[in-house]
Amino acid sequence: MFDHIEVFHRPATAHEAVLLLQENGPAGRYVAGGTDLIVQGDRSIRALIDVTRMGLDYIEPRGDECVIGATATMNAIARAPLVREWAGGILARAAATCGSVQIRNMATLGGSLANGSPAADLATPLLAMEARVGLEDSAGRRSVPLTEFYAGERARGALLIEAAIPPPPQAGRAGWSFQKLGRTCCDISLVNVAAGLGLDGDGRVLWARLALGAVAPVPMRAAGAEGLLLGRTLTPELLGEAAETVAREVRPIDDVRASADYRREMAGVFTRRALRECAREAGCA
Amino acid sequence: MKPEDPIVGRSLGKLDGAKLAAGRPAFTDDFPVPGMLVGKILASSRAHARIRSIDTSRAKALPGVRAVLTWQDVPRVPHTTAGQAWPEPSPYDTFLLDSKVRFVGDRVAAVAADTRAIAEEAVRLIEVDYENLPAVLDMEQAMAEGVAVIHDEPDAKGIHDARHNLAGYILKELGDVEAGFREADFVCEREFRTHRQQHCPIEPHVTASWLDPDDRLTILSSTQVPFHARRQVAMILQIPVQRVHVIKPRIGGGFGGKQELLLEDICGALTLATRRPVKIEYTRAEEFFMARSRHPQVLRMKMGVKRDGSITASSLKVLATTGAYGSHALTVQGNTGSKVLPLYRTPNMRFECHVVYTNMPVAGAFRGYGCPQGFFAQESVVDEIAHDLGLDPIEFRRRNLIRLGDLDELSAQLGEGRKGLARTIRSCGMPQCLEEGAAAIGWQEKRQAPPARDGHLRRGVGVACSMQGSSIAGIDWGAALIRMNEDGSFHVMSGASDVGAGADTVMAQIAAETLGVTLDKILVTSGDTDTTPFDVGAYASSTTIISGGAVKKAAEKVRAQIVALGAKFLEVAPEAVVCRDNTVSAADGSGKCISMQDLARRATYKEKMQVMDHASHFITDSPPPFCAQFAEVEVDTDTGQVRVLHLATAIDCGVALNPALAEGQVEGAVAQGIGYGLYEEMAIDGQGVMRNPNFLDYKILAANDMPKLTTILVPTEEPLGPYGAKSIGEVAINGPTPAVANAIFHAIGIRFRKLPIRPEDVLRAWREKNRQEQPAAVTR
Amino acid sequence: MSAIEIDVTVNGAARRWRVAPGDLLLDVLRREGYGGVKRGCESGECGACTILLDGKAVLACLTFAAQADGREVVTIEGLSPDGKLDPLQEAFVEHAAVQCGYCAPGMILSAKALLDERPDPSEAEVREALAGNLCRCTGYVKPVEAVLAAARAKGGAR
Repeated sequence: MFDHIEVFHRPATAHEAVLLLQENGPAGRYVAGGTDLIVQGDRSIRALIDVTRMGLDYIEPRGDECVIGATATMNAIARAPLVREWAGGILARAAATCGSVQIRNMATLGGSLANGSPAADLATPLLAMEARVGLEDSAGRRSVPLTEFYAGERARGALLIEAAIPPPPQAGRAGWSFQKLGRTCCDISLVNVAAGLGLDGDGRVLWARLALGAVAPVPMRAAGAEGLLLGRTLTPELLGEAAETVAREVRPIDDVRASADYRREMAGVFTRRALRECAREAGCA
Repeated sequence: MKPEDPIVGRSLGKLDGAKLAAGRPAFTDDFPVPGMLVGKILASSRAHARIRSIDTSRAKALPGVRAVLTWQDVPRVPHTTAGQAWPEPSPYDTFLLDSKVRFVGDRVAAVAADTRAIAEEAVRLIEVDYENLPAVLDMEQAMAEGVAVIHDEPDAKGIHDARHNLAGYILKELGDVEAGFREADFVCEREFRTHRQQHCPIEPHVTASWLDPDDRLTILSSTQVPFHARRQVAMILQIPVQRVHVIKPRIGGGFGGKQELLLEDICGALTLATRRPVKIEYTRAEEFFMARSRHPQVLRMKMGVKRDGSITASSLKVLATTGAYGSHALTVQGNTGSKVLPLYRTPNMRFECHVVYTNMPVAGAFRGYGCPQGFFAQESVVDEIAHDLGLDPIEFRRRNLIRLGDLDELSAQLGEGRKGLARTIRSCGMPQCLEEGAAAIGWQEKRQAPPARDGHLRRGVGVACSMQGSSIAGIDWGAALIRMNEDGSFHVMSGASDVGAGADTVMAQIAAETLGVTLDKILVTSGDTDTTPFDVGAYASSTTIISGGAVKKAAEKVRAQIVALGAKFLEVAPEAVVCRDNTVSAADGSGKCISMQDLARRATYKEKMQVMDHASHFITDSPPPFCAQFAEVEVDTDTGQVRVLHLATAIDCGVALNPALAEGQVEGAVAQGIGYGLYEEMAIDGQGVMRNPNFLDYKILAANDMPKLTTILVPTEEPLGPYGAKSIGEVAINGPTPAVANAIFHAIGIRFRKLPIRPEDVLRAWREKNRQEQPAAVTR
Repeated sequence: MSAIEIDVTVNGAARRWRVAPGDLLLDVLRREGYGGVKRGCESGECGACTILLDGKAVLACLTFAAQADGREVVTIEGLSPDGKLDPLQEAFVEHAAVQCGYCAPGMILSAKALLDERPDPSEAEVREALAGNLCRCTGYVKPVEAVLAAARAKGGAR
């Protein structure tokens, strides 16, 4: 019940939206799809600023990057040919697993990232692809790496404008994977993994990207496991080591969905599965 | 529809199908009444507390608030909320509003206001001063000395031993189980634990009430038991039954959760206080912990067998908790014994059960009604015994199953909480169910070969048998009235409660078949205490056999009137009159006939008579439907997740009066049964608070989670049922959990005896097993 | 509180409503007579409030009424404007896919959105499209059959 909302703004530009938020202070909130905001039922909100009519739903190439506007929906992202071809299509795959068809028609990239859940399925592939996010607030526009967004930038409440994904690393043969563990088919992630590997002709790892969600306060890169893989030849033993390293790096919690121990173990299991898929995609068994 | 086909036994469309598919007004919240207020209940935030004081002044002062009720404003009438025939076999331990709260979610106060927003704000403004009492959350501690007494009120009635939080106690024995166990060559004794499952009807509980111009209290409610609701509301509000009118519209799912008085009394109280229409609808969160749920149990199952596979004795000892109030406490648990143990023949049976109070959400009626718990235990033990004896699980069951002609004497000891009636098995298709179900799952090939494995995936198949009842013998009853309209159509008035399963349609089929007309000539009005005759309501799988039985009897009487008129109009002897396909004709080769339409008009305007009759019906037995269910599962030994690949159900419900509707019951029950075993769980924390009162974290299966379902209707003919029917509403929920558990054992050699079977538990057990078997192996 | 005037096309008819800024589309639709849009959970999990917004299946309980301004809404009532059932609704009735019927309007609209875009779906695609419509009565068996049958029938008619 949102009887406490006093005003509903529908600005036409990001600049207008930013000014409106400033005017309304802590009682103002941006709203896009509403799938998080309405469920959260925060009764302190007095003003809503609908950001879905500002033309931020684009999905387009810009230079050598793939750029996705903040109000592009999960379904639009899942279906966009550009996204489906980018880095093995892991972002498209992740978007296709978020909730139901209805949720995917409503939930947006910006809303999901701004909500800050560590389980957000889009965040993990974006992290693995080293995306940057474009933000705007009273200080103007700026672009920050997604890691920085999670490290503290998000709390400053700037309006999310877009995510810009740089081209994937070119070295070697690339393989990407997105894996998700849920209790049922449509579920919030208990663990999710987005990985990318570049392999040379001998199956040696030229570059490695490994991101995990729902196993730490924010989506994270498993830097230790990535470092472990570099320069080494992929073998089942190496995968096992990587999985064990990841299990040590994650900081999951106990909640009603799963215990921390289970999440930790599954982080390892799904890291192995993701890396195996990367190897297959890269053409190495 | 070919004219010569019978109407019963055909998958004819539901009478209300079009209306529902079109989204036309049908449910309680679809009928707003002018001036309707919104009601809301203030729920306790404490598991166990006395209310020292309630300050409602700020709430009352809020503009738009029309009433605020606390325990001081309403009569104090001990009652049960269970929708059962009077005198109810559940303790009278509940009050409309009380000065004590006994679980998180218990009623503290109620508000009626102009809008939902104002009602919610008013609830927030009520200040309660609680005196916390020690909360009893663990059912295994509830009876201990010195533990807080949950029902210490002097005016509660029917509690077995309130001082020890014992709501009910049952002990029944046939023969001598100790002697039976001594005689056995093998004895298997195991402990099982089951948990809280919630009904999750997609339509939450909702009730509207208003005073009609004659000052009668009209209640429109999503209820399975309109007549019980009428009686209970009258008693609780201290007004005559005559002054209460309960109407049951379409219901968005019940499954037993609406066999309960949850909102009707408080909504009625607010209407009496304001003299305004009031509507209360539970939010989804309230539906989860302020409605009802399945009784959790600890079961100790013991079975003794001889080497030849015969069972010398079976014994079941149960500890259950009913939560804070005792609705259905004795009867659900009674079923755990009475419907479960007699499935296998043995001269020695014993059932003992303690049902305790705890400061937890209240348990109540839920499809299966004590049987899912009991069959989980029994079918697991039976499976284990067969395995240990080297017997085929199907063969072992087949040898010992109850048979046609058998007398189930345990039922005589355990009726609806009191002495019941023995059951005679007059129809039994179980052997064929086992055969066909086994074929459907591919039992032979999958059991003969070693369990299939593919890397970390392991497959297995398992079986479980079960039975239920068809109505509560000697207690459930219903009446029907059938009226002919002047155009040859008929109106069936039945007190029955169609909860969505299609009862109205099945009753119409019975009427049409008996009267000799086509289905489109039958109109049904049901579940209205002013206009329809009495019926206990929809529970105990009674509707087809009891309400349908009443319709058949009434239709036979009406048919006799039609035949008499036909004989008169056609000038033939009554014995020569045939009613079929909307035509009344002479069976004497003369070709004389009259359409039902013309006969009706003549009766109305020439004969000046209303063709109409009624009948009341009950039976003194409860013929069980039988069910053999087979599961094929795939266990992921890396994640512990269990995926059900295929669930096959072969079921004997007598004659399926409407096969498509019968299948629908099986399919829905199987989905709930799989949920019970693997996915659903009410997670209550150490403060008695439910941590997952939402669909995000209480997982019910969605369309893309479902395994392949096969449903096989095995026909038999039940002499006690209308056109040979038994029941099908509940039984198919009993088998999926044990079938899955047995399939998991086949797949990975581990038995799970605690529900739900969670991935974490499977993984832990799998790791443990591998550690024990291969201490030197590298574990990943 | 500043009320908003919104112009919404509902089932082809232009409607103008005064709504509060915090009003949810579910509440507005129900109070404006579209009772086929059901309230089941109010948190976007059960799908009983599914409507089509500009042709896409969305949840009315998670949409602010203000966000529907200038857009096209289809509710279940829009599928049978003259009382005659649409083929998808017919299929649901014929295949006994409607038990209590509470989830049916939402489920049928999800199916419609699927078939409008993908006239020949596989069973897996149907299940995916219906995954956001929880049903406690049917086990989804007959609803899926009904959607596949409706798809075949449409194909046959072409």
